[in-house]
Amino acid sequence: MFAITPQMMSNFFNSISKFIILLSIILIVVAGVLIIFLENDYYQGISFKIMFIHVPAAWLSLMIFFSMGVSSIIGLVFKSPTSFTISRSLSPIGLIMSIVVLITGSIWGNLTWGTYWVWDARLTSMLILAFIYLGHLFLLYSFEHFQKADFAASILAIIGMVNLPIVKFSVDWWTTLHQGSSVFKVSGPSMTTDYLITLMVSFFCHFVTFILLVYKYFLYHYRK
Amino acid sequence: MRIIKLNRQIKKRLIFLFIIFFCFAFSIFLISYTLKDQIAYFVSPTELKKMDISSDKYLRVGGLVKSNSLKFQNEKWNFEVEDEDGGSIKVEFTKSLPGLVEEDKGIIVEGYMGKNSIFLAEIVLAKHDENYMPQSAIDKMKNDGIWRGD
Repeated sequence: MFAITPQMMSNFFNSISKFIILLSIILIVVAGVLIIFLENDYYQGISFKIMFIHVPAAWLSLMIFFSMGVSSIIGLVFKSPTSFTISRSLSPIGLIMSIVVLITGSIWGNLTWGTYWVWDARLTSMLILAFIYLGHLFLLYSFEHFQKADFAASILAIIGMVNLPIVKFSVDWWTTLHQGSSVFKVSGPSMTTDYLITLMVSFFCHFVTFILLVYKYFLYHYRK
Repeated sequence: MRIIKLNRQIKKRLIFLFIIFFCFAFSIFLISYTLKDQIAYFVSPTELKKMDISSDKYLRVGGLVKSNSLKFQNEKWNFEVEDEDGGSIKVEFTKSLPGLVEEDKGIIVEGYMGKNSIFLAEIVLAKHDENYMPQSAIDKMKNDGIWRGD
């Protein structure tokens, strides 16, 4: 498993790139149509539709950080260059996703809560996640040798994984202005099926776009 | 099948990373456990009654707006915030309310405790919950007699 070389990864990405681009175009159109024709929420009205960007971006920013942490562990323990390359390509995408979460979240917050920003546990831990991404990116480009940069950045990615359960469970552990999770609940999702399907389509749309970006960054790092 | 062969070097690196991770995780746990009252964004009216409050302490109280309590008179908003444990508190607010503040819906008021145990709010935020549904789904549930809201 750890014998995967960057060459193999790059060949794999090249072989699926056309399919991924086609899939992402289809998904963007389908998700857009679904979101536009969806019935508004009974309480929040049209403003709840920003959820279909906010929630997938939030899930992705957590998942990307988790993958970055795992690939950093593999990279450090098994000295695998591919893992470091993956980690390096994930970092800027995670930063973009967490900034998207913060911006869409504060627009949604202003429309519903009546404020752009409060310092509650969920919002603050999400801001910290964005700052860890930024620090990771800065660490990667502040060394002359890639080996040193990879080592320092990987330690940060591993330590930063402590923040992931805090972001995810902050709404359960402390009282927050932010609402609890709707989809991954013990009692089942607290939204109707048409909303849930739209959310899933929108998530796959974001996910495929994420794969495309990984592809772009991986090739960039590989050719260097 | 020898997929992963753990030699001594690899074992050493794994243990090193686990020690770093768990030391850091434990310290974060200790900090957040000690500061849990500061991290919590608001208290419920029931919790507020148990606290000893001086009039210059900035407080955040959250709960639901009590039904039939939201009134606008003498250029002031008056309403009561209640919680599930039966506690409630009277609130006075002089600015304009966020659009989503409604009776039986979530709210957070920030401000100071005034005389006659009336809470003088300076900021009011609407807190919506994690339930999303269209009006048609509610009408259908009302028809079927399984709607538990309102």
